[in-house]
Amino acid sequence: MVSQQIVNGLMLGSIYMLVAVAFTLAIGVLNFLNFSIPGLFMVGGMAAYGGVKLGLHWSLAFAGALALAALISLAVERLAYRPMQGGDPEAPLVSSLGFLVLLENLMLIRYGSDQQAFPPLLADMNLRIGDLVIGMAQLASLALSIALVVWLSWFLSATNSGRRIRTVAESGETAVLLGVNMSSLAPRLFVGSAMLAATAGILFAVNYQQVSPFMGEGVGFKGVAAMIVGGMGSIWGAVLGGLLIGMIEVLSISVIGANVVNITVYGLLLLILILRPQGLIGRPPSREKL
Amino acid sequence: MTAKSAQRSVALSITGLSKSFAGVRAIDNLSFEVPEGRAVALIGPNGAGKTTVFNMVSGVYPVDCGTIAVNGVDVTHMPSRKRIAAGVARSFQNIRLMAHLSVLDNLLVGQHRRNASIAAMLTPYRLVPSHRWKREALQALAESGLEAYAKENVGALPYGVRKRIDLVRATLAGANVLMLDEPAAGLNPTETNALRGDLQALKARGLTLLVVEHDMHFVDSVCENVVVLNFGQKIAEGPLSTVRQDRLVREAYLGVEEEA
Amino acid sequence: MSGYLTGVLVTLSFNIIAAYAVYLPIAAGQLNLGIAGFMAIGAYAAAFLTNEMSWPIWAAVLVSAGLAGSVGLMIGLPVLRTHGIYLAMATFALGQVISAVFLNLEVVGGAAGYPVAAYAPPNIVFAAAAGVVGFMLLLSTTRFALYLTAVKSDPTVADLLGVSVRGIQAAAFTLGAMVAGFGGALYAHHYSFIEAQHFNVMLSVFPVLYVLFGGTQTVLGPLVGALFFTLAPEWLRASAEWRYALFALFIILFMAARPQGLVTMSLFRLFGRRKPQVTT
Ligand SMILES: Nc1ncnc2c1ncn2[C@@H]1O[C@H](COP(=O)(O)OP(=O)(O)OP(=O)(O)O)[C@@H](O)[C@H]1O
Ligand SMILES: [Mg+2]
Repeated sequence: MVSQQIVNGLMLGSIYMLVAVAFTLAIGVLNFLNFSIPGLFMVGGMAAYGGVKLGLHWSLAFAGALALAALISLAVERLAYRPMQGGDPEAPLVSSLGFLVLLENLMLIRYGSDQQAFPPLLADMNLRIGDLVIGMAQLASLALSIALVVWLSWFLSATNSGRRIRTVAESGETAVLLGVNMSSLAPRLFVGSAMLAATAGILFAVNYQQVSPFMGEGVGFKGVAAMIVGGMGSIWGAVLGGLLIGMIEVLSISVIGANVVNITVYGLLLLILILRPQGLIGRPPSREKL
Repeated sequence: MTAKSAQRSVALSITGLSKSFAGVRAIDNLSFEVPEGRAVALIGPNGAGKTTVFNMVSGVYPVDCGTIAVNGVDVTHMPSRKRIAAGVARSFQNIRLMAHLSVLDNLLVGQHRRNASIAAMLTPYRLVPSHRWKREALQALAESGLEAYAKENVGALPYGVRKRIDLVRATLAGANVLMLDEPAAGLNPTETNALRGDLQALKARGLTLLVVEHDMHFVDSVCENVVVLNFGQKIAEGPLSTVRQDRLVREAYLGVEEEA
Repeated sequence: MSGYLTGVLVTLSFNIIAAYAVYLPIAAGQLNLGIAGFMAIGAYAAAFLTNEMSWPIWAAVLVSAGLAGSVGLMIGLPVLRTHGIYLAMATFALGQVISAVFLNLEVVGGAAGYPVAAYAPPNIVFAAAAGVVGFMLLLSTTRFALYLTAVKSDPTVADLLGVSVRGIQAAAFTLGAMVAGFGGALYAHHYSFIEAQHFNVMLSVFPVLYVLFGGTQTVLGPLVGALFFTLAPEWLRASAEWRYALFALFIILFMAARPQGLVTMSLFRLFGRRKPQVTT
């Protein structure tokens, strides 16, 4: 049934969207392709699972997971982002991937490599509209993701901190000249982007009721794809790209089969990159001056 | 071909050149010629558009309108990569040597134009002790008295040395027209004298020079003619001594370089 | 040689080949995050040729490497119009699409995988890796290698000096795809079984880590990086389950202290000027 698929696609898409926004903050503002984000997504899901398993109330478990992700992200800023300024553009990739591997293996040591079942929070509360079944958890997640993005885009356009961030995104040099303090701004951006990724991980755990140390890879890479399809550095681009990729994934699974997902999703990414590298609603990169 | 033979004595000719950036005219209907074997200075206050002229001649920026001819060949729409083969090479105001390469390797890249075949690209010349290419590059360095730096990484070298190496690299392509963007800027007096010697040697070899330079003593000792730019327009042209008396030039330069 | 040692050395050989496949484009300033796709092309094409066409292994491997190179060139030309992060993402997507295509290709087993009858013993694998290293060392003495660095260091100036930036980049990308296809073809014949799931993102990403860790400034960087990444986890075997975590931690701390990688130009200079790099 198509409308059910659309609901499922939107749900998955809203998770990609959050991850894509997390990536876009790091790359659009700091020019840093932060591959630890899939790891932070996973930490969100796994740490929430660990907390609930310890008998904590879910709200405490979630808060703990978010705090943990934020702390780790500060370490990423210190060890992977800051020392690399002014070096090879590829170098930060190594350390941020190092963080992904580190986090995955730490979780592996703690919880094993198997999928773990995440306890249902809003178990059997479903909304039925005709044939359409929408889980309350799904609905709540969707609402939360959208609220987060709307808030973020308001924050960037209407507050002083937001304007500072946008100045940095326009040109790091100009921003420094205008007195923006990068060494205090960067850690905050890392925390913000980690919170988004970890929130996405928690929502994923709640909705699909399963977590594993490797849950970040598939979702994380699709989040990157979503960011680029929409337009790198643009929040609404990430939203559009996330929803589009989620929709395409769900529809191609139901129409053709699970094995073609990577062809359709990454085929679309490739096509966009060749035909319109700036993404659906991004701006083209500027030319250098001599 | 008739056009070519008629203009043989003009090495670089610029006609009706214009360029705007975001609606602001950086170059406005500029025309001038550099005769074969002569040295012409392109001078003007900061932001007058001198580097922009270089960028259009070398093809970094497309022109808005106008034509550029090198050795009688219209290069206006030629891809930037091919212009060095048409005979025009340049140096850079903000030194663009390749930081991860040694001085010698930078010069070897400079020789590319004369060694562009696939066979030359795949010759394992580093295995050959004192290969022709290396000898030639070292020779060029030695002529400027810079041979001691051959093996150094360019990143670590003093500014003046890098500036002069940038010039040596520009000469190695075998182009007969050289465009030098502020070659003396940032050089100490000793280095400036050495540079003057380098340029005079190039002139003696019959090369044509177009030099952007703020140091008027230097211009006076190297160039026969100057073209003065202000806000993208040519405001005077001729020998420096004449141009200096020009009212427009004096106004443009008010307070700048008025000694001597 | 003990079975264990042979196993480690075979892994090392494949890692070295993969590292040079990534190094070639990186040396020209292009991050290829889809090397696994080209390995898959080499592996499946070679396996198909020996299985279904009864070709000898050597011919199948060489032709498949050529095929991977041609696909690299064909797809590379449009992809190479993009730069920097966009190019990295395009190659990443490309790798994913290629292995997903094999996942759906029933002539070569589809999702069930594809057994390979002909077998390439360890010695062949060692020789192949040595061959790739030798080829790269030889290449590093040419103008082509010089232009790779020039194009990476300053494409605008390289272009003004007459170097065809896109030509050099396309050549590096194609050569890298060829080396990857070569490694993949051998892989299929050494391990006697291939499946599309093997050619995943991590297979693309790890060689990039070897290269960036070893350093991109010299031709020896990838070799050192592959050696380190293959052997260090073996040394850490004692701390079995902690080894990858410790290893990742080490990489993070190392890169923070030395972002330019292990082997650099200045390191060469430090160890004397005997290097035949520049002879006067
Ligand atoms: N790529 C560009 N984009 C926008 N404006 C540009 C660009 N390049 C040059 N300009 C503008 O064109 C004008 C001329 O610049 P140009 O660099 O040619 O000056 P110049 O005469 O070389 O000055 P200087 O003596 O400082 O080197 C300046 O106003 C400059 O800001
Ligand atoms: Mg200038």
